[in-house]
Amino acid sequence: MVPGRLLKYTCEVRGSEVIPHFLGDHDHPWLRVLIDEFHRFAGRPRRELDHRLQEPLPCKSPPGKRALAAHTLSRLCRERQHAPVKPRDARRALFRAGRKYQGRSDVAWSVAAHTLNVSPEALRESLFADLPTERRLAPPPSELSPGELALRTNLSLAQTLLFRASSVRIEILGNARTIVRHARLRGLICTVRAPSSAETECSLDISGPFALFRRTLVYGRFLGELVPLLAWCNRFHLSAECVIKERIATLRLQTGDPIFPSREPRRFDSRLERRFAREFSKLAPNWDLIREPEPVRADGTLIFPDFALWRRDSPKRRWLLEIVGFWTPDYVRNKLARLRAARLTNLILCIDEERNCADEELPQNAFVVRFRRRIDAEKVVDIVERRSEAEST
Amino acid sequence: MRIRFDRGTLLFEVDRRHPNVSALPGVMWDPRVGAYRAPAYRYGKIIAELDDRGIGISDEVSLHRRIPGRFHRIELRPYQEAALDAWELSGRRALVVLPTGSGKTRVALAAASRCLSSAVCLVPTRVLLDQWCREISRVYAGPIGRLGDGDRRVEAITVSTFESAYRHMPRLGNRFGMLVVDEAHHFGGKVKDEAIEMCIAEARLGLTATPPAPGEAAGRLADLIGPTSYELLISDLTGQFLADLDLITISVDLTPPERRCYEAEMGRFRPVFLRFRRLSPTSSWTDFVRSAYRTPEGRCALDSWRRARKLLAFPRRKAEAVRMLLRRHRNARVLVFTTDNETAYNIAQTHLIMPITCDIGRTEREEALERFHKGELSALVSARVLNEGMDVPEANVAVVVGGAMGRREHVQRVGRILRPAQGKRALVYELVVRGTGEVRQAFRRRQGLGSR
Repeated sequence: MVPGRLLKYTCEVRGSEVIPHFLGDHDHPWLRVLIDEFHRFAGRPRRELDHRLQEPLPCKSPPGKRALAAHTLSRLCRERQHAPVKPRDARRALFRAGRKYQGRSDVAWSVAAHTLNVSPEALRESLFADLPTERRLAPPPSELSPGELALRTNLSLAQTLLFRASSVRIEILGNARTIVRHARLRGLICTVRAPSSAETECSLDISGPFALFRRTLVYGRFLGELVPLLAWCNRFHLSAECVIKERIATLRLQTGDPIFPSREPRRFDSRLERRFAREFSKLAPNWDLIREPEPVRADGTLIFPDFALWRRDSPKRRWLLEIVGFWTPDYVRNKLARLRAARLTNLILCIDEERNCADEELPQNAFVVRFRRRIDAEKVVDIVERRSEAEST
Repeated sequence: MRIRFDRGTLLFEVDRRHPNVSALPGVMWDPRVGAYRAPAYRYGKIIAELDDRGIGISDEVSLHRRIPGRFHRIELRPYQEAALDAWELSGRRALVVLPTGSGKTRVALAAASRCLSSAVCLVPTRVLLDQWCREISRVYAGPIGRLGDGDRRVEAITVSTFESAYRHMPRLGNRFGMLVVDEAHHFGGKVKDEAIEMCIAEARLGLTATPPAPGEAAGRLADLIGPTSYELLISDLTGQFLADLDLITISVDLTPPERRCYEAEMGRFRPVFLRFRRLSPTSSWTDFVRSAYRTPEGRCALDSWRRARKLLAFPRRKAEAVRMLLRRHRNARVLVFTTDNETAYNIAQTHLIMPITCDIGRTEREEALERFHKGELSALVSARVLNEGMDVPEANVAVVVGGAMGRREHVQRVGRILRPAQGKRALVYELVVRGTGEVRQAFRRRQGLGSR
């Protein structure tokens, strides 16, 4: 996130839309100079760099974008305190002496320095060395390129704009699970509707509970967190109504926008899943095990089965497998309710015995494999093979 | 019908066609989850309404409980008793307006001791978080929770900064039966009001010395906390319960080079501003800033205005005046208020006064205040941290070098030295640069003080 004042020159409200001015290839030359400036000021107080950055760079650079990139870059640089004595001790000694020798500040400085066994100059250097403006800058990460800085700056810009939104709509193809999961983890509500274009598989409306009553910015931070995750979707189109410059404007982001991605989402949620996948593949060489298959729409929301099992020589023989593992009772109750609403056939439910689900709570069509710590892959293979044989005969 | 707390809201698990739900105060149909929903702060009214209609409900909202600790007896002054009674008569939902230094915290503690239910106290700053915890621990024998300044401990009595409440109330909003809002005038503007909207507490007490003027914000505050049930001005308490006050304005000049620089900067700003005012006489300063940002000339004018203000923050003659005042009151306890932290550090280094700013850590800040109480430090300098709510009863002289926030800030600052003591006479010095906008600002600030 960046301070709101930096938005003034880095986005523009045109009609009912807000257009972020993303950094691109043409900005790389001055970004390189900016990174070099940060290297040059390494080891010096931040105040000096701030002062320097108020002046233009030696090459042409747009002031708004430069301030935004400098803000992003400074957050990547660590700071350290450089003081001969602890600033807190220096202040304690000096202001105590100041009280004692009122009106004779030179005496107070000398006495305080003597108490701390340092010179008055060292004391002066230490006095406020822990303030944010006085802390010494570390150089930027050595592997940071102008390209990466541009992408990171764009991400900050997009997130800051979303910080001013109370809901988003995302049309998505592929990896919707990551988005939905993250949104739910943050306490947001995801509803699903049919996509408006054939290029995407679903349309997600994401907002927080309180957004029902008024335009609230309380969820903006969480909505912003979704942006770097979108890079892992095959295709997406995000739109959000943001309050910019006291006007409501729509922000649009889509596949291909130059935004820094998050780290790759984990392939498996847990060791339990990884182990099951390994054992199943060993026991059933004729079956393909697909992690995170296409989501299933049910009752205005999406269900993401953990695995799809496909018989290789007969693609029609297809099973979905859902693991209901360790979680809160509410989570399990909601999950089972969604599965019941979906009325899926060929569903295998692996349920942790500690969940204590009653039979009437379970979806009617589901095959249930209860487990404790480890899912018995043999039981699953048994179900899919036996059932498939029964169907073929 | 089942009602439960859902992340700062109340969720009604009931059929959409249920005739009795949609008419309840604040309740709306939420198509996202297929249920009725209401903001948490409506909880009390909704339950009362359902009770009146005789509708049976399964209420799974509230997790608040009786406090485990015990409150000691709290001695109140007559006007504090009256404020408390007025709050009770308002159905335990009200705003109490008392001058700074008159002991609003004690009113809140007495109210909490009457409610005996779990309570959360919201305070604007980290410094006040420490102060409230200290005050509560003097009258309450039990664990005290803290949210903010790196702490996340929740207890039956919890103190939270506004910022932490804004973040955590969706999770904790149903744990408290009472809500105390210190410096309640910060709310009502829809910015971060969610901190109190997401709490179900039925008993609500707002405390302020500077309530918002009648209007939208005041109306919203009345809805969220309650109407003003009790109000006293500084003049009502001065002499008996507040220290007598002398306000002295010291006018200083700019040095010739400073004056030239100031005039040059204002020469770039004034024509742009006056042109805007001619075209749009009823517009506000915010309108001007918004309009100025659209043109390079406007942006340049705003930059000049900022530089001129920076110059006025601590010109040479103000520095000399501060030196003279500190020398004159070397045996008094002095608070120096500045426009910005930079000036505060400048004064700290020159006059060897401990600065209390947002950059100074909690333990050091507490230690400094403790030393000020004991008399080991005779002066403190601060830009904003000491502005609101801080209890520094020993202070009897304030030097206002500059301010950025207008009337309300000034009233709060003056309030820091109004805490009564035997034979105390409070002195407020205001440094104003002649022939600049500061003269008008000072006049407005004094008007604000008179009206409060």
